[in-house]
Amino acid sequence: MATDALRAQVASKWQESFTRLNQNEPGLVGLLNFSQAWNIARECVRPRSLEEPDALTQYEKPTFQASFELLNKCRRLPILLETFLEDMRKRFPVIKAEMDQYTLDYQRTSDTIHILNLVLRLLQWYQKWIPRPELGATLQSAFVLSFQTHIFSSLSPTFVRGFKELCASTLPPVDSDTILPEPNPKMWEAFEILGLLDRYENIIASVAYEHIETYVLTTCAGHWSESMLVHLRKWMADKIVPWMMLMYGRTVTTTNDAQSMLQNVGSRFDFHMAKTLCDLRTQEIFDIIIDFPDSTGALQDLRDCLHRVDQRAALVHALRKANQKRLLHPGADTRLILTQYVATIKCLRIIDPPGVLLFKVADPIRRYLRERPDTIRCIVSNLVGDEDSGDSLVDESEPIQPLQQSELEEYTDPNWEPEPVDAGPDFRANKPSDVISTLISIYDSKDLFVKELQVLLAQRLLAITDDNSEKVEKERRNIEILKIRFGEAALQVCEVMLKDMTDSKRINGHIQSHKESVIHPTIISKHFWPILEAGEISMPGQFQTFQDEYAKEFSAFKPDKKLRWLPHMGTVHLELQLEDRAIEADVPPLEAAFIELFSEQDVWTMDQLITKTGLSVDRKAALKALLTWVDLGAIKEVSEHTFKLLEVAEASTAGRELRAATTSVVELPSALSIQQQQAEQMKLYWKFIEGMLTNLGSLPIDRIQSMLRLAQGYDQTVEQLGAFMEAARSEGLVITRDGMWRLNPK
Amino acid sequence: MKVIIKRWHAVAQWRWDTGVSSDDGDEEGDVCGICRVPFEGCCPSCKVPGDDCPLIWGECTHVFHMHCLLRWIGTAASNQQCPMDRRPWVTAERKVKNLVPGAGAAAPSAS
Ligand SMILES: [Zn+2]
Ligand SMILES: [Zn+2]
Ligand SMILES: [Zn+2]
Repeated sequence: MATDALRAQVASKWQESFTRLNQNEPGLVGLLNFSQAWNIARECVRPRSLEEPDALTQYEKPTFQASFELLNKCRRLPILLETFLEDMRKRFPVIKAEMDQYTLDYQRTSDTIHILNLVLRLLQWYQKWIPRPELGATLQSAFVLSFQTHIFSSLSPTFVRGFKELCASTLPPVDSDTILPEPNPKMWEAFEILGLLDRYENIIASVAYEHIETYVLTTCAGHWSESMLVHLRKWMADKIVPWMMLMYGRTVTTTNDAQSMLQNVGSRFDFHMAKTLCDLRTQEIFDIIIDFPDSTGALQDLRDCLHRVDQRAALVHALRKANQKRLLHPGADTRLILTQYVATIKCLRIIDPPGVLLFKVADPIRRYLRERPDTIRCIVSNLVGDEDSGDSLVDESEPIQPLQQSELEEYTDPNWEPEPVDAGPDFRANKPSDVISTLISIYDSKDLFVKELQVLLAQRLLAITDDNSEKVEKERRNIEILKIRFGEAALQVCEVMLKDMTDSKRINGHIQSHKESVIHPTIISKHFWPILEAGEISMPGQFQTFQDEYAKEFSAFKPDKKLRWLPHMGTVHLELQLEDRAIEADVPPLEAAFIELFSEQDVWTMDQLITKTGLSVDRKAALKALLTWVDLGAIKEVSEHTFKLLEVAEASTAGRELRAATTSVVELPSALSIQQQQAEQMKLYWKFIEGMLTNLGSLPIDRIQSMLRLAQGYDQTVEQLGAFMEAARSEGLVITRDGMWRLNPK
Repeated sequence: MKVIIKRWHAVAQWRWDTGVSSDDGDEEGDVCGICRVPFEGCCPSCKVPGDDCPLIWGECTHVFHMHCLLRWIGTAASNQQCPMDRRPWVTAERKVKNLVPGAGAAAPSAS
């Protein structure tokens, strides 16, 4: 029957089970033994409260070992484990309540000590509950897993915040004055045991990252003169590595392990440090370039960082943006733009020798410069070493070399290298060429420069009024150097101009020795000098006589040639002998012509004077010439545009009033007083100052002065600038603090 | 009042005295008939104007850069004639003797 069979089967199973539990002991002895062993084992692993004594104190080691062996034999250990875990679950709310209390305390006080206490308390519970190792690895690992699961499910976001803060508090402080907190190995041990290190690895790493960021920013921002990387790496080695060892190094036993750990984690931290520094220098790049060469350290750091961190595109973007905002606008002086461009070239060569970055950054600057009307003039005046053209764009150390205009790539070049990957299709592998070649290549042809060079040389040569061959020699040396750059043929015209200078001196020497004359002309070759500003004056009286006499002597000396005067050019040094005084002055020819006419007749209208000197004189120039003599007190205006010679000086006040009245009508700056002129000039430069301070924040007076010196025609001393800034301050335009000037924000 | 000129730094251009346009009218059109460069410029083979690249006057009143004319006379096609009027070239002695002694004699006998 089925029931019989079933009964028999159950009976046999029961018998088998009983036999196992009874362990083949006679009667029920085995079963009783099992029951006792179960009770002992369960008592051994029971989660106790912290105040209860440990199981060890209750039972001798052999006793519970025997019990476990018995349970094991009866295959009842899994049941014991289940029971143990269930007991833990039931008891955990006690721990949870404590955790909540600690967390609440932290939330209330923001003191991380509560978080630390929480962790240490958890450790106590852990150690109280963990099954003895003798009971086997299975039991222990099951416990650890379960305990951690309970903890993690009970930790709140507040705890995480506190935990992060706690980790951060163990880091070496950023300012070296504060003492390093005593390392607390026990805390890290607790983190490790409780599994917090693994679970919050990212948070701990972010603590370190943020710390590195703070340190880099506070120590490196604005410090450009020396390389900071060396210092930073030392700091990491001294301060961050020991901290890392506390955290990651606890499990490390061999030096090999330590090394691979440091390489792994350490290189991540080093990368982060490099990236932070790279980002900072990228932000600062425009000002770093302004400060060059005092910022070489920062540039070297940037180069090294860029090898480690791929931030080249970001650097290009940042610099282009800064240039657009701070450099390429109407308020910036062309010389300033050129100076900054040259500095950019030099700086980016340090960062990126192949020139890809420079190519990308330079393009907008070059396009902008090409649009500026005075770019060529600025470059050329720098080439000829114009005194007032500010700092030289060219290093004296840089060898003078011919312009490099080879657009085509040199395929036979043995040093040819493939273009860098981020070069882009337009990139022309420009061989590292000198600054001047780079500047001149802004334009498609060098002819414009040669023309400008001629104009400038002409002006400078004609300004030499005193047979000063030293000055001519200086220009000649200059041209010799420029020949190396531009080529002999391009400067042939300049050569003729210089020859005219020496010839003039020789011819004049001959003529003077023959028949002395007050005229000392510069005789120029018509087609070799730039077209000079037009203007015809027929010189009256003795001037005409001197001209004619000299021309006659010239033709006697050079029978096949004659002279054609350019009477509007040159300078006359003359003396007016009046009844009560003499006036000595250096004046342009038109002034001289006018005063000569006054020696014939006391009163002249302006129109009469113009007629007498050849009609082509414009009224503005005529008025300016007359005002020169008014200023010198030789003549005065008696009615509008009618002037009278003052054989006897008049009280100066009368003259002054009149002059003020006249100038207010015609607005001629050259007739203004010196102070007025200075004030006017400074007003002109105010927009530069304003632009500078807008762009650069605050500046010391020396810096403002050195930047203004780049502006066309600026000739104020730093003291005059200081007085002006003071005046601007009293008007509320600027404020000053610690020697730094800035715009008044309101 | 008396005006006393102490020193006058003036600027002047030199011109060839071609004798023909005696007064200084507008001389812009004065170019060498051979190279079309102004007389005060220099011939194509010179770099420096003036005494280094002088003019030469013909009896026919035509004037050229001396170097230009000598080169012309040296060619077979010239027949040693003035390139402007095809009359036999005769150098006007009055003008050229001060500049290059012997040039007038050498020119016609170019081979
Ligand atoms: Zn010619
Ligand atoms: Zn010549
Ligand atoms: Zn002829």
